[in-house]
Amino acid sequence: MLLAVGILGAAYAFVNFLVRKDTLLNLPLAPMDVLLTQLYGMIMILNMFGIIVAACMVYNMEFNGNAIKKMYMLPMSVPGMCFCKFLILTVMLLVAVVLQNLALMKIGMTELPQGTFEMGTLVQFAAYSFITAMPVLSFMVLISSRFENMWVPLGVGVAGFLSGMALANSKVALLMIHPFVVMLKPAVAMSAQPDSTVILVSLVETILFLGAGLWMAKHLHYE
Amino acid sequence: MDYMITTEQLTKKYKNFIAVNHVSLHIRKGSIYGLLGPNGAGKSTAMKMLLGLTTPTSGNFVIDGKHFPDDRLAILKEIGSFIESPSFYANLTGRENLDIIRRILRLPTSSVEDALELVGLTEFGDRLAKKYSLGMKQRLGLAGALLGRPPILILDEPTNGLDPSGIHEIRNLMKSLPELYDCTVLISSHMLSEIELMVDDIGILNHGRLLFEGGLDELRQSALQAGFASDNLEEMFLSMIDKDNAARKQRAQL
Repeated sequence: MLLAVGILGAAYAFVNFLVRKDTLLNLPLAPMDVLLTQLYGMIMILNMFGIIVAACMVYNMEFNGNAIKKMYMLPMSVPGMCFCKFLILTVMLLVAVVLQNLALMKIGMTELPQGTFEMGTLVQFAAYSFITAMPVLSFMVLISSRFENMWVPLGVGVAGFLSGMALANSKVALLMIHPFVVMLKPAVAMSAQPDSTVILVSLVETILFLGAGLWMAKHLHYE
Repeated sequence: MDYMITTEQLTKKYKNFIAVNHVSLHIRKGSIYGLLGPNGAGKSTAMKMLLGLTTPTSGNFVIDGKHFPDDRLAILKEIGSFIESPSFYANLTGRENLDIIRRILRLPTSSVEDALELVGLTEFGDRLAKKYSLGMKQRLGLAGALLGRPPILILDEPTNGLDPSGIHEIRNLMKSLPELYDCTVLISSHMLSEIELMVDDIGILNHGRLLFEGGLDELRQSALQAGFASDNLEEMFLSMIDKDNAARKQRAQL
């Protein structure tokens, strides 16, 4: 799922820049800011839905056929299983982000005015977008692990997306408790410069949601 | 006496009822213990507590000298289990499902074929589990429990959904296990006629309470003393349950 999102995001970046090249390059922004912020919005939305669906699927395969009951009855660590699913999704998201940023790199090297493409800025922004996506990933793994009915985490994901979109532009710092708002921050910023507060909040939220998921997997029984 | 599993006043309370009510079981090593009771008696709940699927409200239990949750992994390494309904990955074949369990238990590759053969699923091993009939799913669940011939088997109504020849096969398999592999078997059912044919000891549950625990001979003695024919344990069992239900109604009215 996330691989498909990576490929789709890369394709979107190519097509969008090809179609809107003149409009984008005439914006009153630095070329790198145009490349990263103007194309990133849709890529970020694709990533967000990719994470939501992938997290739902990764646990739905356990609940479907009641395989998870067997896992609880086998000599294996249930929190370990949760952590492995988190790691798998993290690696897949990383691959998707790399694919998307390879496309952006190609566009930057071939389409931007000579000498304006900065590899360092691209790598920095790629890392920033990856880190800010992690709270949503760990939150969705937590929610998916708790609900057998896949429609619940799907609904939570969609609600999170819609509420995040509504609140992303707000200047209220407290709203960064909302993991979807954190993921949307790079998309609503007009500069490709990472915000250290957002990075810190992302890391803390990722660890908190992951910790909560592991604690629940260990202490809450199957029934 | 060497007990493999003992429970001490094991209790499980939900919001508005008590599923298991101060039950103390004693399962001898190398024996087949039948847990008998009507639907809703608390058999599955008791077994779930032994496997850590649900936490007891009070009481404790010991399995092969080990306690939950401290010795969870060590306990589960020794137990093959099948609770309520079969559990499997629907998008994998029967063989692949068993292979996952094999890898977790660190068993040799041959144990998968061994388990499939024991339950008669060898020719259907490459079919997707979601395409299995009810009986096949049941057999797959049993195969998962029997994988690696564990020293303890906890089986909750394992013959549900099987045809008569399947029931006969599984019954004979269960009976052979203690002798062949020194296996201790805890098996539950609501059918005394089935249990009677394979168990050494029996525990009768009704509404969460243990009404009787002992050998089949003891049960037959009780039947004789109560005026029932000793070869008609079904009537004895039903009258025991009816008597308990009547006593509960009386207590509720008081």
